[in-house]
Amino acid sequence: MTALREVTRRLLERLRPDDVPEAIGDAPVVAPSTADEAAEVLRHAAEEGLTVGFVGAGTRLGLGGPLEPDLWVSSSRMARVVDHQPADLTLTVEPGVTLGEIEELLGAHRQSAILPEGRPEETIGGVVAAGASGFRRLRYGPTRDRVLEVVLATGYGEVVRAGAPLVKNVTGYDLSRLVVGSLGSLGFVARICLKLWPEPPVHATVPVTDPAAALAATYRPLAVLETREGGFVYLGGTEAQVGAQAAALGAGVRVGLAWPDRPTGPVPVELRVPARALPEAVRTVRRLLPEAPFVAEHGVGVVHLAGPADADEEFRTLRRWAERAGGVVVRLGGYDVLSASEFPPWGAPPPWAGLQRRVVAAFDPAGVLAPGKLPGGLR
Amino acid sequence: MDLVAELESVLGSERVRAHPLDRRVFAKDAGVKTGPVAAIVFPETAEETASCVRIAAEAGIPVVPRGAGTGLAGGAVPVEPALLVVMTRMNRIFEVDEQGRTAWVGPGVINLELSKQLASTGLHFAPDPSSQQSCTIGGNVGTNAGGPHCLAEGTTVAHILAVELVTVDGEIVVVGAEYPDPIGLDLRAVIVGSEGTLGIVTRVLVKLTENPPAVGTLLLGFPTVDAAAATVSEIIASGLVPAALEMMDRPMVRAVENFVHAGYPTDAAAVLLAEVAGHPEGVRAEAEMIERIARSHGATSVRTAADDAERALLWKGRKSAFGAIAQSAPDYYLHDTVVPRTRLVEVLDAIYEIAARHGISLLNVFHAGDGNLHPLVSFDASRPGELDRVLAAADEMVRVSVEAGGTLSGEHGIGLEKRDLMGLVFSADDLDAQARLREAFDPTGRMNPGKVLPEGSRCFDRAAVSGGTGR
Repeated sequence: MTALREVTRRLLERLRPDDVPEAIGDAPVVAPSTADEAAEVLRHAAEEGLTVGFVGAGTRLGLGGPLEPDLWVSSSRMARVVDHQPADLTLTVEPGVTLGEIEELLGAHRQSAILPEGRPEETIGGVVAAGASGFRRLRYGPTRDRVLEVVLATGYGEVVRAGAPLVKNVTGYDLSRLVVGSLGSLGFVARICLKLWPEPPVHATVPVTDPAAALAATYRPLAVLETREGGFVYLGGTEAQVGAQAAALGAGVRVGLAWPDRPTGPVPVELRVPARALPEAVRTVRRLLPEAPFVAEHGVGVVHLAGPADADEEFRTLRRWAERAGGVVVRLGGYDVLSASEFPPWGAPPPWAGLQRRVVAAFDPAGVLAPGKLPGGLR
Repeated sequence: MDLVAELESVLGSERVRAHPLDRRVFAKDAGVKTGPVAAIVFPETAEETASCVRIAAEAGIPVVPRGAGTGLAGGAVPVEPALLVVMTRMNRIFEVDEQGRTAWVGPGVINLELSKQLASTGLHFAPDPSSQQSCTIGGNVGTNAGGPHCLAEGTTVAHILAVELVTVDGEIVVVGAEYPDPIGLDLRAVIVGSEGTLGIVTRVLVKLTENPPAVGTLLLGFPTVDAAAATVSEIIASGLVPAALEMMDRPMVRAVENFVHAGYPTDAAAVLLAEVAGHPEGVRAEAEMIERIARSHGATSVRTAADDAERALLWKGRKSAFGAIAQSAPDYYLHDTVVPRTRLVEVLDAIYEIAARHGISLLNVFHAGDGNLHPLVSFDASRPGELDRVLAAADEMVRVSVEAGGTLSGEHGIGLEKRDLMGLVFSADDLDAQARLREAFDPTGRMNPGKVLPEGSRCFDRAAVSGGTGR
């Protein structure tokens, strides 16, 4: 950013973060403490035409392509637990609270928000903005089904609340679900209420040779995963139930949930296909990228993988295969080793891109929020 | 060409109706409001639906989509002369993907019919509103319908993966996808529950749910309403999410028992119908736990369904509730508020007090497990002043729920009925944001106008008045 206006300078000074870098690249970082402060920043950005990116732990910034905004808004000063109602199975938090903090708090009550496993450093704001889910979505559904209420500082600089901290609600348009996966295109998520689940009394992990067959044979496992190490069925329930289900699957049962590491490597991507196409997706990944680590979610249709930097040809082939199978390949990062032009963040735009453009314009009339992040050629 | 002739040129005369009698029949849904209808059409394809939308636009009249008309909030009742687009002829199940557990279906498919057709696959459509024998999937999408089994499975939005939508411009666009986490904004999530104000849904990709291998159903009788409500709160707090957890009070139990003879305990002040489903071992343990909690709160009777026939009978009692009350009075008025499950006891107490003070007849049957109340007032609208008393009490009941941290509707929708109460739970800025969303889909305001949001929700002029974009 070149010529900062005096008013912008004063805003930056006042909302300077204390525990994160003051800049990412050339762009300054501000850290509002309240939804109203966030709205003030966004109102100012809209008036001045400053583009804005949002950042939590910075672990999912690659989704939708690299962003070089004029200004970053960090959730680091909004990291409080607002309310936990154990008897009502709801939790209200600010966006900067980490998944580790949430699961630790809930674990003491034998409850869970079913957030992505093995990512304690990530923030809930990032998970919601990215629309990310954990492996247990097979049993409990995706994160978006558990977002009951959000407070949003919009691109036009107002604070709005949508939904309610209630497990069942059809009062008005469900903007809270719309925010999930919106990649910052509608505003800054300043508060989130989540629906919780009780933790089953007993967990187990069972290795299997044919995960697709195990999925078909098991009533509602928590997850059925396949990696280069083999297939695994994850169970939860009473001791008698888990024991019976595990015995039916075979030997080698382990108590507890032994989740695989998320694949790491130069170019992380996500392959998403209709659930029925998942076994073929795994075969295709094995054929095209024989060395790449992956975790495939049977019954869901997601393959997490990380490929080498020189695999642009294979990635493009994988994307063509996925789109023919009714799915997509989404890039999560690695733009410094494989550019976005060689392998773009998204493939074909969604059929509803026209409607989407109008909805984004309604919440970000100045067109300054996370520009270019969403697929479909927004501006 | 006039409107009817124009519509007939696309649909033929048999699927266009404008006779005064038809216009009266379609002037209301299952609620209490009526509205003016210009004509009624029955399209069979998305293209025909789009043509109807365009013809209405040329005629300058709004469009109101409608399914089976079982809605209770007036969502399908026009507020000005409108073209009523009835989707019941689009009732085909196009394809079922047993392995992926999804199906593309027409919006006119009857909810229960879908699960019946799927019986051989071992799958079902989880949302099960009490009207499921007659309501349509399209209507379920419109209201984001619930039902007893939404306690564990979530309401309709959790079971809709994609919709084909005819927009106000007459374009046909698929929103959502078969693959998980569709890229871009999740517009599907706001179309579900939008009560036909964002477009007309002409095809639906539903998620199907595996039938549980075992089911346990318990009917529990309690000496007081408070004891039943406290049992509900403790079950939820104990780390158990039953498949369903329904409550009925004594007046409701007696009405139902007279009607279906299901063997409900008519001496109990309240009954709970609890269901657990899943692996046989889990079901056994959970049923025992529910019985233990109920007895600790003084349950006077515990009946466990011995087989599917007895289970069906117990559920028939619950699902016939609204038919049963027709015996006691010609009219009824039904609420749909939701309160935190920890506040059930106090809110129920307040609702009984309100009914007593207004001298009205109150029955309760509701989805206790998720705090979704259905206080039901039976009355005779032909008696002078009675409707006014009912509505005054109704208003108080809604306010009591909202004051306890609750909201207006859990599954019926806002429609016309609760539109003007939206200000109780949302600020002007909140409503403006919702109005912006609606305007993005429908800048013309011709798609089911007058529903969901109160007049003046969109604050066009505020920025100009305050001299900036600030408040």
